[in-house]
Amino acid sequence: MSGSLHDVKNDVWMRAVIVSVILLFVGGAAYGAFAVGVGSVKKTDWDAADEVLVEAKTNWNLLNETEAGGTSEEAADIHEQKKDARIAYDEAKEAEIDAHLSYLTWITAGKTLLVMMIIYAAFYGISGFYNSIQPEEEHDDHHGDDHEEHHGSASPIMMAAGLMLFMIGFPGFVNTCKSLLGLDYQAEMGDFGLSIVGAAITIIGIGNWWNEDLKGQHEQIASSDPFQGQDIRKAGMWVFLISETMVFASFFSSYLRMRTGWCTEWAVDAGKCEVVDTITASDLLRHEVGTLLPGAINTFALIISSYTIVLALKVAKDTEWKPSENALMAKMFPTRKKAVRNYLIITLALGSMFIVLKLVEWSHLIAEGFTIDTQAGSIFYVATGAHGLHVFIGLLVMLFMVFKADVLEDGYNEQNGQGIEYFGLYWHFVDLAWVAIFPAFYLY
Amino acid sequence: MGEHKYTGPIAGIFQKMADIIGKDVYYVNFLILMFFTLFEVAAVFFETIPGTDIKITRTAVWGVLIVVGIIKGYGIAAFFMHLKGDPFIYTRTALFPIIFAALMLWGIGLSNPSGIDELPSWCTPNWDYSYVTE
Repeated sequence: MSGSLHDVKNDVWMRAVIVSVILLFVGGAAYGAFAVGVGSVKKTDWDAADEVLVEAKTNWNLLNETEAGGTSEEAADIHEQKKDARIAYDEAKEAEIDAHLSYLTWITAGKTLLVMMIIYAAFYGISGFYNSIQPEEEHDDHHGDDHEEHHGSASPIMMAAGLMLFMIGFPGFVNTCKSLLGLDYQAEMGDFGLSIVGAAITIIGIGNWWNEDLKGQHEQIASSDPFQGQDIRKAGMWVFLISETMVFASFFSSYLRMRTGWCTEWAVDAGKCEVVDTITASDLLRHEVGTLLPGAINTFALIISSYTIVLALKVAKDTEWKPSENALMAKMFPTRKKAVRNYLIITLALGSMFIVLKLVEWSHLIAEGFTIDTQAGSIFYVATGAHGLHVFIGLLVMLFMVFKADVLEDGYNEQNGQGIEYFGLYWHFVDLAWVAIFPAFYLY
Repeated sequence: MGEHKYTGPIAGIFQKMADIIGKDVYYVNFLILMFFTLFEVAAVFFETIPGTDIKITRTAVWGVLIVVGIIKGYGIAAFFMHLKGDPFIYTRTALFPIIFAALMLWGIGLSNPSGIDELPSWCTPNWDYSYVTE
């Protein structure tokens, strides 16, 4: 039961380092195109809309100060002018809000893509470099030797130590980031450095884990009830999902408790109360296609990504898999190995899009005054933020799965496809949580 | 991985639909999830049933959101997470936290003493809040 399943040389990890450089370029290009390119055009539009608004407001104020003339004809004329000025002001205000939100969309998308690509690159680059310089394992055939079973892994200890350092420095890290962004905060370089070191150690721990998984181990089988005969990793994943269910249940119960006390638009419509005292995120989102769109697209993106990861698993386990007769599909998925890898890449892309759209939507809500310092805002941002964090952690795991699918000679197949299945359980759970979050926070 | 036939009152319907269109159950499940997502968004977005003057009440929307949530949850858990087809111990494991989650939703979620929803007494725990005011 000991020894590696796959004979993988450590220098294969240099490919991860190369990919990290490519990802940095992609992030830079995305930032340049979205935030700097389109963003600057949108900023000009916003400035222009703002000027029109100021002009319309001045005109409206001037007319309001104008005394109505003596004759009824003059009074009617002034009244008409005031009416037109009011319409022009309302239109200018709406145009200014639209221009502002459009600017925020592009600038947030660009910044989010840049930060995501830097994090992806850090994971590929640091773990790739760390694993590529490790000494190669000696391959002595001790298969079946019980004394060699259950090698301990240093990865959890490394990750825990790294996370501890990261969290110790985290408040200073946040303040320093804000200071670097030009906000009025004091930079705390000591804490910032501590967090960076902690993050690097965490990533090295994760990289070490990746390396162990890449080489592979035989699946351990539970030998006692209640999971006797089942794969231990699968049982462990389900037990982990139990704890995740409780995390989200706590968000929902808190939300429900607060929500039953708010007089919202929904409660007024349902005849429960008379005067609205709380604006919820759904009040701002559900009435217009444009505002509901990011949340709705995200829902479809998660469902599609759930399907693509199931397809990756299905293809990996299918020993008789053949390319599609459809020319486009055959080009996208030419071999079993590439089909699995490409389905994983599509899942990764859809998950990344989810994060970008989520932050774009948040930027719009914050611009409209729906901030975290209100009761409705705090539960909304905490619940959807925790869900977004789960999606993002899933994406980091998927980075490795794409790498593994690419570098192993056979990629994922019927023998090692469980990795996709177990990760898929987590990913579907995240989808399942969204099935509850979307109607509760966006539609209700 | 989807090769075996699903049976049972609900899973059997999914299987039958898959057989009719000549695809696997995953595909049918995917289509059903997409359709019901559109349906719930539409139920909230439209104030009247399109093409009619019939108003969609808040209670009706509530009903749609809950029923659609259950259908989508079943689809994901049963087919994508393979609870249907895997040993029953996994279903038991998945259902285990539901009782605690339900208790939290009842004991915390519905326990707001100043709730405006006038929830029925059987639905609201009768907590003693005297410690807050004394």
